[in-house]
Amino acid sequence: MKILVCVGNGGVGKTTLAAAMGVLAAKQGAKVLVLTIDPAKRLATTLGIEGSKDICKVPGQSYKGELYASIVDHKKTFDDFVLRAAAKSEAAKKLFNNKLYQKLSTSLSGSQDFTALEKLYSAYESGEFDLIVLDTPPAKHAIDFLNAPQKLSSLFNDKVARWFRESKSNSTRGRLMNIFNAGTKQVMNILENITGSELLRQLADFFMSIEQWQEKLEERITRVHRMLVDPETKFCLITSFDQAKLVEAEYFFTELRKGGYHINSIIMNRSHPEWLNLHEALPAEAPVGSKNLFALYKEEKEFYACRERIHATFAKKHEAQTKVIRLPDINRPISDLLGLEVMAEIIRAQGDGQ
Amino acid sequence: MNPEIFFVTGKGGVGKSTVAAALAIKKAKSGRKTLLVEIGDQSFYKDFFSLSSVGHEPTMVQENFSVALWTGQSCLREYILHLIKVETLYKLFFENAVMRAFINVAPALPELAIMGKATSGPRNHGPKLPFDCIIIDCYATGHFAALMGAPVGMAEIVKVGPMGEQSRSIDRVLRDPRVCQYFIVCLPEELPVRETEELFDQLKANYGITPQIILNKFNTKSLSEAEFVAAEACSNAEFREFSKQHRMLQGMHLEMRTRVMGRDPTTQTLPMVWSHEVMQVLEVLAARLK
Repeated sequence: MKILVCVGNGGVGKTTLAAAMGVLAAKQGAKVLVLTIDPAKRLATTLGIEGSKDICKVPGQSYKGELYASIVDHKKTFDDFVLRAAAKSEAAKKLFNNKLYQKLSTSLSGSQDFTALEKLYSAYESGEFDLIVLDTPPAKHAIDFLNAPQKLSSLFNDKVARWFRESKSNSTRGRLMNIFNAGTKQVMNILENITGSELLRQLADFFMSIEQWQEKLEERITRVHRMLVDPETKFCLITSFDQAKLVEAEYFFTELRKGGYHINSIIMNRSHPEWLNLHEALPAEAPVGSKNLFALYKEEKEFYACRERIHATFAKKHEAQTKVIRLPDINRPISDLLGLEVMAEIIRAQGDGQ
Repeated sequence: MNPEIFFVTGKGGVGKSTVAAALAIKKAKSGRKTLLVEIGDQSFYKDFFSLSSVGHEPTMVQENFSVALWTGQSCLREYILHLIKVETLYKLFFENAVMRAFINVAPALPELAIMGKATSGPRNHGPKLPFDCIIIDCYATGHFAALMGAPVGMAEIVKVGPMGEQSRSIDRVLRDPRVCQYFIVCLPEELPVRETEELFDQLKANYGITPQIILNKFNTKSLSEAEFVAAEACSNAEFREFSKQHRMLQGMHLEMRTRVMGRDPTTQTLPMVWSHEVMQVLEVLAARLK
């Protein structure tokens, strides 16, 4: 069982490349699952699997292996987790009605990352696939994805939940105030002044409802972490090509290695146009009748020659540890399985696959 | 006088941060004291402008032009310190585990703190932000929706009390076209255009806001058919291929511009600047922006 985690910031083409890498592996004979976040809801259309919530076989394929796909439904995944973790179903029901929970399960920073990993882990546990490709939620920085589960777990790690749980008083606020030390009482008073008592009541209810799944969440996070640092789990950083992004890629690279993760490749997507041929020299003078077009051509060609030098420096620095792959901009939207196959072929040609 | 507040958003990878920076430079050059704000845990502008650090307090880049990095935490801290004023009490507050948990769990609280800070001038509430122009780089469409929705969301959970009141006042300012303006940065390509159309419609329907569209990396030098025909006779294969691709690109760009102009007839276009020098790119873009 292998896992390929595609990380990178928003808009770099992560979802499409994750799917294309899945297609490539299926063509080469593997039973593959592509797990995607599909924020723009377009990959489902591309793959022809709109509307299905569970793992399903992508229609219209004739590969040596098999291609499956699933779009992660955050709300459902989070709720399912809570249902499984809660010892009593009334407790889960109560939680589902809590306003804080309703927002938390879908909009808290890190909750989407958590559900993506939760879904990945279930598929991994099932042992049904040779390869799972995970497309991660968009983030400002690629590294946010890895920090998300810890962030979520630290929420429930705090002694806070225990305080709420151990209190005996009947009214929520009474309970709160009984168990807090003098300092905390003072803090709660300030907080109440700023926010009003309603929010505090919701908060107390929330912490009391989650008591049962606190332990399960932590256990899950430990297992997920073990899966992510397994040598069979590879990370692929997908980035666009500009100076600031390269600095970020370097930072990410260092952080991944520090964390004990295994990096397989850095992909610079849409790094150059398809027409560009680095070995083709610039004609000495403008062809008759296309002076303006030639001026544009010259300007772009010089731009990409400069980019080539920046890339060479970057690739040289990292070539000992990872593959640095550049993919051209094919200048047309990918709207079906055939388009993904074209992309898969480009990936194969540029970087011999996974 | 109230500051002008600009929100710059758009799909990932369209050049939002660059356009926001160009807008900031333009405003600073016109004599407005300008603050360019980015949101998140890590700074993009630090490397972009080769600064030694960027944090919650403004860092000066050029005359009249500073950048700052806001997080929900940093805005909330500042706000609470402003409200309770006593440093020791404030420390007690933030070192308290209940408080930490509260900040983490309360939905939309970080977003609310950010929007509260951005609109503190016109609302005359909270710590002073001494700038004439505040430009906020909202890093992705999804996150921007979370920022915009936070005040309404909070007001729904907390109907009574000061928090509910502040939430409603932030929401009012965000909808006021005399104070806040919205830019959607877009590329002349199918997916970003589709996402721009959707975001435009959502902002209009949910908040009554009319955003302005900026079409970035647009082919501004339109060439005649004769140029492409002449190129076919050239002996250089790469140039012939370039000509073929550029002809397609030019057509697509015009088509995409027509589409976004269906939403915003005043759509501005910015050219692709063929340079790796940040300041050079920004100067060109700033000069083009209206």
